Amino acid sequence: METKIGVFLCNCGGAINNIDFDAVVKKVAKFPGVTYVNLSSNLCLKEGREKMISCIREENIERVVVAACSPEFQEHIFREVLEKAGLNGHLFSMANIREQCSWAHDGDVTMKAVELVKMAVNKVRLLQPVEKKELPVNREVLVLGGGFSAINTALQLSRVGLRTTLLEKEAALGTGPEELESFYGFDTGSMISAVEGDENIEVLTSAQMMAVEGKIGDFSVRIKKEGEEISRKYGAIVLATGYQTALALDSEPKLRAKDVAISGINIVSQEQFCRMLRNSSLETEPKTIGFMFDFSDENSRFTTLATLNNALEAKKKWGSEIYVFYKSVKVDSEGMEKLYQEARDCGVVFLKSEAPPRITAENGRVKIEAKDVFLGEDIILACDVLVAEELYLPAEGAENLSSLLSIRRDSRGFFQDENVHLYPVGSEKKGIFFIGGCRGDLDLGRVLADISSVVMKVHELLSSGKILVAVERVKADPQKCVACLTCIRVCPHGAIQLVRVDGSKEVAEISDLACDACGICAAICPAKAIEFQGYRDEEILAQIEAIQEL
Amino acid sequence: MIIAERKPMEEIKQLIAPYKKVLVAGCGTCVTVCWAGGEKEVAILASQLKLARSAEGDKIVTLEATVDRQCEKEMVEELKDKVAEVEAVLSLACGAGVQTMAELFEDKPVLPAVNTTFIGMPEKEGLWVEMCGACGDCFLDRTGGICPIVRCAKGLLNGPCGGTRKGGKCEIDPEKDCAWVLIYRRLEKQGRLDLMREYYSPRNFRAVKRPGKVQAAKA
Amino acid sequence: MNGCIVAFCCEHSAYPAADLAGKLRLHYPENLRVIRVPCAGRVDVIHILKAFENGAAAVLVLGCEDGACHHITGNTRAKERVKYCNMLLKEVKVDGRPVAMFNLSPNAPHKFVRAVNEITKIIKESGR
Repeated sequence: METKIGVFLCNCGGAINNIDFDAVVKKVAKFPGVTYVNLSSNLCLKEGREKMISCIREENIERVVVAACSPEFQEHIFREVLEKAGLNGHLFSMANIREQCSWAHDGDVTMKAVELVKMAVNKVRLLQPVEKKELPVNREVLVLGGGFSAINTALQLSRVGLRTTLLEKEAALGTGPEELESFYGFDTGSMISAVEGDENIEVLTSAQMMAVEGKIGDFSVRIKKEGEEISRKYGAIVLATGYQTALALDSEPKLRAKDVAISGINIVSQEQFCRMLRNSSLETEPKTIGFMFDFSDENSRFTTLATLNNALEAKKKWGSEIYVFYKSVKVDSEGMEKLYQEARDCGVVFLKSEAPPRITAENGRVKIEAKDVFLGEDIILACDVLVAEELYLPAEGAENLSSLLSIRRDSRGFFQDENVHLYPVGSEKKGIFFIGGCRGDLDLGRVLADISSVVMKVHELLSSGKILVAVERVKADPQKCVACLTCIRVCPHGAIQLVRVDGSKEVAEISDLACDACGICAAICPAKAIEFQGYRDEEILAQIEAIQEL
Repeated sequence: MIIAERKPMEEIKQLIAPYKKVLVAGCGTCVTVCWAGGEKEVAILASQLKLARSAEGDKIVTLEATVDRQCEKEMVEELKDKVAEVEAVLSLACGAGVQTMAELFEDKPVLPAVNTTFIGMPEKEGLWVEMCGACGDCFLDRTGGICPIVRCAKGLLNGPCGGTRKGGKCEIDPEKDCAWVLIYRRLEKQGRLDLMREYYSPRNFRAVKRPGKVQAAKA
Repeated sequence: MNGCIVAFCCEHSAYPAADLAGKLRLHYPENLRVIRVPCAGRVDVIHILKAFENGAAAVLVLGCEDGACHHITGNTRAKERVKYCNMLLKEVKVDGRPVAMFNLSPNAPHKFVRAVNEITKIIKESGR
């Protein structure tokens, strides 16, 4: 028995004016299965939709094709119309006769329009209903890390009513560069007290994540804390595990910031310089100080901020002569332009050079040589202390975390931040997020925005304790599945696992929660066992078959 | 499982050259998993043959069918209606499948479209490697689970040949790991290196008579 | 469908780019037929071959830019499959039928139009 297909054409209020709709209606009415064809001028507006609902009911239409604008625009609206009319929203297909037909070609496009409708009719004939269901999810959130980003994420999550566990591998919270405090003017101590006093936040220090399984709404995590094993479940995981630095010097690249002296001369990191500034019992105050930045890492605004702040403070505290070697001073961050101006007004000297300066030791001092772009001359400076350029690198343990979670890292080793579709805080797995330094982002303004972004996303997902999913929209048929493990290995979202059915056979099972409906598994399954409703092979081939001679 | 590889297209075209109506038959087990002869490969091959004939100004009608295991008579039996309609069968199953079809449908030419190569496993996506030589006299217990008959280029039983290259690579094939280096390391991990001190006399390669037969004891 | 170009367009990049081309009234040959897919990685070899069996002049697969696939590996897999298809067609000596993969972002309607025009040119040159 042929299913009854209703075709609703729309001329978009006259915006589609190079199609002979009468001819289209005549031809479409002859397609097998089509029992109703009608032309409107504004199908998507309230009146148009209501008329559609009554048509579907009166004419006992079982499947619907709309030929109008792009499905990117209105598909969900029409699916709702079907549901209101008592049909499953999935028994619907749209023919794009506007953006990809009428507007894209000169002259009369009636023939193409007819074909596009035929493609949609062929597809809709084969579609199967997909139900929706609410699945319960765990409302607790795991935040990995103990620094600025982690602490503030936990505090904000608590404010929106979500219980959080802060998991920090060191013995105390607040580990991170101390210079953050003086640069940004916040108080780590009071943040930590706020966290410790918050009843929605559990703090686990000297603790590490050993294993993690599951999917969004249902992650099972094994934690090791001081030799003891703890098992927990969470709905979402947020990584705020920070970064580490290494001195970038031509002579010996990638020295750890912890190394103090090289060949007996004083080369320090920004952090060490901060400590010098704070050290009230410093033996000798350096009279001449050199800074360098923006040669190896052109992206970090944090180094610029650190340099400007430290230079200013040194000038005010010790009155030293300060020279800053740079390639470009990038001040596109909040407050930076003002800070730069202040530094110059104070007498800090800025020297621009194209190539990184050469660093050598001479008579117990650091000798810096660079060619100044504006003077066109070589500058040679002998200073007491050089605050060297730092590279920002992924934290120790980033590789381990990446493999525990089966999450990729980007080309620099930071957690995924180069894919614009996942930007700014998402990962390829639903329910796992990254913020701050571990994402390679060290600009406070952006980090704060990212924290709010993550909190909003997590709240949206978990706050109601339920997530609406399409049931078995992508499904591996247990009868056909030969458990070759190909789909499990290729799923970019980690949404497939091997399960036992009927007590013995192992087959692939796709999680409705974690699946992101890409169809990569459906394409690669060698046994053709995976069906992706709406994009099954027969549904795609039916569209191809509809295309005829022009 | 059995690993097979599709024959070169020129060879397949020659095999079916005299025929105008052919059944392209796949198998749902080993050759499906190694991407050589499953339902998908059947569809692709049929499509290619149609395109090829049409480009030559000629025609071919193809029927497509894939059974769970082409080496089971009962399953192959189900194809009898389709086989009756065609002039020849192009089978993408391993040698066992091809012969089962040939035996059941004696009046039709059954042509192999794949070459059955070895018993193996996937090393990574899309790459299958030979693991077992089906020698009929398994001694993997003594080599830490690594078979020197298949994985040693010379099939040696008592340690490396002495020509092992730097990095533990094979003298004959520098891309390959020396099997005996792998065996040594494995036995070392298990604390069973004493096994390497034992001498194993030359193998009885007649352990498996051709064609092999195995009669299960229980009913 | 002699003479049609079948274009598999990923809903995260090429499909919206095609829509944008329409909105901007950028014109391209009328014999293009777009099939919307959730990811270029959903397109399989048999879909491309069937398009040719049905008489298509060329097949395009359009997905996200390198490194920016919404589903991480979809566009890479699509590229490999297109390469494989070209090999399969060459094997049976019907390689005059072009199959090509193009990468673009959703806000690049001109890239979409360029892809269609390029493949049209190739069809004309191969004398079909």
